[in-house]
Amino acid sequence: MTEEGEELSKNALKKKLKAEKAAAAKAEKEAKRAAEAANNPKAENEEEMDPSQFKANREAAVKALKENGEDPYPHKFHVDYRLPDYCEEFMSKTEDGEHLDTSVSIAGRIVSVRGQGKLYFYDIRGDGAKVQVMSGLQMYAEGEEAFHKIHHKLKRGDIIGVKGFPGKSKKGELSIFPTYIELLSPCLHMLPFAKGDSNLGGITNMETRYRQRYLDLIVNNDVRNTFIVRSQVINGIRKYLDDRHFIEVETPMMNMIPGGAVARPFVTYHNDLSMDLYLRIAPELYLKMLVIGGLDRVYELGRQFRNEGIDLTHNPEFTTLEFYMAYADYNDLMTMCEEMVSGMVKQITGSYKIKYVPKPGAKEIEIDFEPPFKRIPMMEGLEEAMKDKLPELDDPEVEEKLIAILAKHGVECTPPHTTARLLDALVGEFLESDIINPTFITEHPQIMSPLAKYHRTKKHLTERFELFVAGRELANAYTELNDPAVQYELFLEQAKASSAGDDEAMITDDGFVTALEHGLPPTGGFGLGVDRFTMFLTNKNNIKEVLLFPAMKPTDDQLDFLAKNKAKRAEDRS
Amino acid sequence: MRFIVALHMMTMWASVARTRAFLLARSTRGTLVTSRFMSSEIEEQIKIKGDQIRQLKSDGVDKETLAPYIAELLALKTQLPSDEAPATVATATKPKKQPPPKQNQQRKNEPQPELSNSELRQIRLQKVQAMRDTGINPFEYTFDVSHTASQLSALYQDKLEPGEEDGSGVTIATAGRILTRRVFGKLAFFTIQDETGILQLQLDQNRLADNFQTLKDWTDGGDIIGVTGTMRRTDKGELTLWCNSWKMLTKALLPLPDKFHGLQDVTKRYRQRHVDLIVNSNVKDTFRKRAQISSQIRRFLDDRGFLEMDTPVLNSVPGGAEAKPFETYHNALDLELTMRIATELHLKRLIIGGFEKVYEMGRIFRNEGISTRHNPEFTSIELYQAYADYHDMMDLTEELVCELALKVCGTLTVPYGEHQISFERPWRRVTMHDIVKERMNFDFAELQDGDEASLSKARAAATAAGVPDVASLPTMGQILNACFEELCEPECIQPTFVIDYPVEVSPLAKPHRTKAGLTERFELFAVGREHANSFSELTDPVDQRIRFEAQAAKKAAGDEEACDGQSLYIEYFVQAAKVQSMPLPGPGTALS
Repeated sequence: MTEEGEELSKNALKKKLKAEKAAAAKAEKEAKRAAEAANNPKAENEEEMDPSQFKANREAAVKALKENGEDPYPHKFHVDYRLPDYCEEFMSKTEDGEHLDTSVSIAGRIVSVRGQGKLYFYDIRGDGAKVQVMSGLQMYAEGEEAFHKIHHKLKRGDIIGVKGFPGKSKKGELSIFPTYIELLSPCLHMLPFAKGDSNLGGITNMETRYRQRYLDLIVNNDVRNTFIVRSQVINGIRKYLDDRHFIEVETPMMNMIPGGAVARPFVTYHNDLSMDLYLRIAPELYLKMLVIGGLDRVYELGRQFRNEGIDLTHNPEFTTLEFYMAYADYNDLMTMCEEMVSGMVKQITGSYKIKYVPKPGAKEIEIDFEPPFKRIPMMEGLEEAMKDKLPELDDPEVEEKLIAILAKHGVECTPPHTTARLLDALVGEFLESDIINPTFITEHPQIMSPLAKYHRTKKHLTERFELFVAGRELANAYTELNDPAVQYELFLEQAKASSAGDDEAMITDDGFVTALEHGLPPTGGFGLGVDRFTMFLTNKNNIKEVLLFPAMKPTDDQLDFLAKNKAKRAEDRS
Repeated sequence: MRFIVALHMMTMWASVARTRAFLLARSTRGTLVTSRFMSSEIEEQIKIKGDQIRQLKSDGVDKETLAPYIAELLALKTQLPSDEAPATVATATKPKKQPPPKQNQQRKNEPQPELSNSELRQIRLQKVQAMRDTGINPFEYTFDVSHTASQLSALYQDKLEPGEEDGSGVTIATAGRILTRRVFGKLAFFTIQDETGILQLQLDQNRLADNFQTLKDWTDGGDIIGVTGTMRRTDKGELTLWCNSWKMLTKALLPLPDKFHGLQDVTKRYRQRHVDLIVNSNVKDTFRKRAQISSQIRRFLDDRGFLEMDTPVLNSVPGGAEAKPFETYHNALDLELTMRIATELHLKRLIIGGFEKVYEMGRIFRNEGISTRHNPEFTSIELYQAYADYHDMMDLTEELVCELALKVCGTLTVPYGEHQISFERPWRRVTMHDIVKERMNFDFAELQDGDEASLSKARAAATAAGVPDVASLPTMGQILNACFEELCEPECIQPTFVIDYPVEVSPLAKPHRTKAGLTERFELFAVGREHANSFSELTDPVDQRIRFEAQAAKKAAGDEEACDGQSLYIEYFVQAAKVQSMPLPGPGTALS
């Protein structure tokens, strides 16, 4: 965190300086450059140009086009093939150094430019594929003047449409030989070089990558694959559950009571109703109400919100799967979890075994998702790992005894020292951190699990499990507590913990207790972190890598803008 | 926008959220109270009514004539103490399921003359205790179900003669919520409901032995039980599970409300969705259809190479539409955030990033009043395709809706009210100018834009045609739009694309490639309402910036690079409603 923070402020400073410099330079030279650019757009080596000069040149050129009655942003260009389809279709149908006689249309973004005079080479990219454009004067249908004019216009980064003959270069590279090229959308900025398209390659600045994800996607090709895997994970989950007759539902994201989990919620305000609303921290209570209503198998794949710090595994908004299945218990869910998780790992990566770097700079490890997963009952596992005896949970001095055990093993726990928090600290230290291969930690104490059902034989414990992989929690599930009287008691206990200063205690929800009084069938409920699962499958150790637009502090420009907006609104109101 | 059914659907969700406070104080709402004397009087009336209905039925009277009698009967039954009210299973089409009132009901009523919910809860809690005392768990952990109600009714369709039992030795295990209980000495008939439907159970002393007495003592309407047994048909031909064993799975502490009172109390339905779902099985169906529709939309788009994306809900800068956002605050970052009012700007960035076809089906939040047309959160689908324009999007819309209609309804022609809506392609495409000209016999295209004399002419024509409040509209485009909305929109019954909107009413759409003053935009209308809005995306950053500034919207997006893109914005729940409200006449459309 601190590293990130430093980097952030350093960057902010750098950015600010740069922006100031650029603004000054721009103001000074803009008029002159615009004139220069209009007269002689190719005078300098553009790739070495100052970015603001480049932009001024491009803006002037686009303006000139508009003045000449040409449209630099045409409405429509018909495309016969997406680039990946083009590659698939023509790779085997074309011979080296030859081309076909049927003309087709394709389009993409120019990522590199070579050649001049009578022969121009461009690489264009689109939807993850690359095709070479080999434009020679002889083949160009509209004659010499048009040929020079269009090539004069094009810059790296522009989006172009190409009509021509599919073929291969003498070196065997799949290409298109254009009879016609059209500028579809000019790029006004100097585009960073793509990895692999040039030895300059790629964007490495994290700030730029996350804030301008589109640049990251243009330039760093593997980023695209991360999001394709993410999409496969989500489709895989849907398929698994749909095949088993689950119904996908959508429950409210804005609640009057933030229930179903322990976390600090976001608060917002509904103007028309004049009331505070909370963004949901979990859909659990709503989904159980639907099971009470007779939707025996339901799931929701959706966004949850927690008002907590940002780090390698936490983002204020994240995606979870929760499913509920009537007449199933936690044993059934463990089997389903193994089936679903390992099934997707196998299907998406081709193997049960994946390589993973758990932390930046850490050694790569191998994780084996082959079922069945190991199962460790929490209390027994803890005693074994600590080689120490835990106090009985109904011991009146349980907290004191736990504090002593923590002190003995040098484990820290921030106050308040509730039994739940103390145990959690021990589990974190002795059980979770050693786990690499998928492992179920099972049978948590009731005191840590206010919505889980008491164990059918073991006192004070619940029928619950959490799935850990490489030290991280991936899934959480239990036989659902359906005895309303017990649920009400547990809510009261949580309220007590809350007034004792544990701001992570759950909030009592009487409406939910009333729902339980109508009868929730025996039900198993399961939750999975979709972002974290994607991190494993794409070998990423930062959650930002698997979110298209991760939460970032606003830039100085944005802050200025927001402040101005706010002032204006205040003015409007008064 | 604007199919009422769907809006109800969505609005109900919101209501669950916003009205939870009312449930905070444990509810002790009054229940149906009748004195012993009254209740026997009512039973007498029920008996008479029942005989009347049976008589009418045997005379071959059709269902519609019968319906008011049945409603009266049910209304009477609801006046019985709710614990005994056996009304829930009754539907207008199956009056024979109405159990004739029996002597023992009256006897059983005696010990509980006036019961509030908290008293009912107490009685049921005593049963919970009684079960625990004998070592039985009233909240079971799991139960293996071999068949659902609908699987059984499919499996035994056209099998078994009345009075015949399935002799193949197949044992059935199933579970569900008790809707009705009829107990006659050593024999009982229950009906239970699971997700898929309703099943009748036959329970008797012979097969259950001692467990029959506990069944009588411990069960109430609303409990969830698991049973095993064999299938038979009763002498009356009713498919029935003849139980060998039963097990309490979940003891309900509150009774189910009866169907007719539940329906009347609309707010309660929204607040206690679970009760609504138990009592109104068509509500369950609505959700199943909705799930089916969204999965069909996904399949349709996935098959065409679209990728589904997740873009952020929380933004530091709002954008993409004109609406009031919800605001919130991030503690750790010390940062004010707004919730998204559209997914547009993020999705367009992904197009710029090189994904050529993307979509997001997700929640949008707008801080506006709650009504039947607006809900603070709703689901929309936005999709973007590079190198396509609004003509391509119209084709895609036609294909998508036709496929949904075929997959979900099985037909391209669906009834809606008195109309037959045909989704047969191609749909009509007409410019706003032409459709207004047809209706008004007045051609706005012949007028000079911006010319004061022309404006007066236009206003006069509009007023003559009955369009209100045109005097205050300053431009030709706005007058034209007002005429369209007032005169033409309600008359677009069959699916119709209205295209080429005036720029004054379309601030985000790309200017038309040939017609000055117009934009490349369409909206889809059917049954007099709008269902989709789409346009060729503005890709010129300079133009975009001017418009952003004009709207005072924002400056961050659109000025980096641009790309040819195209959007289709469908208010998703409207789509959902269209296909589900139309094809289901009768009980299915009861909601609207």
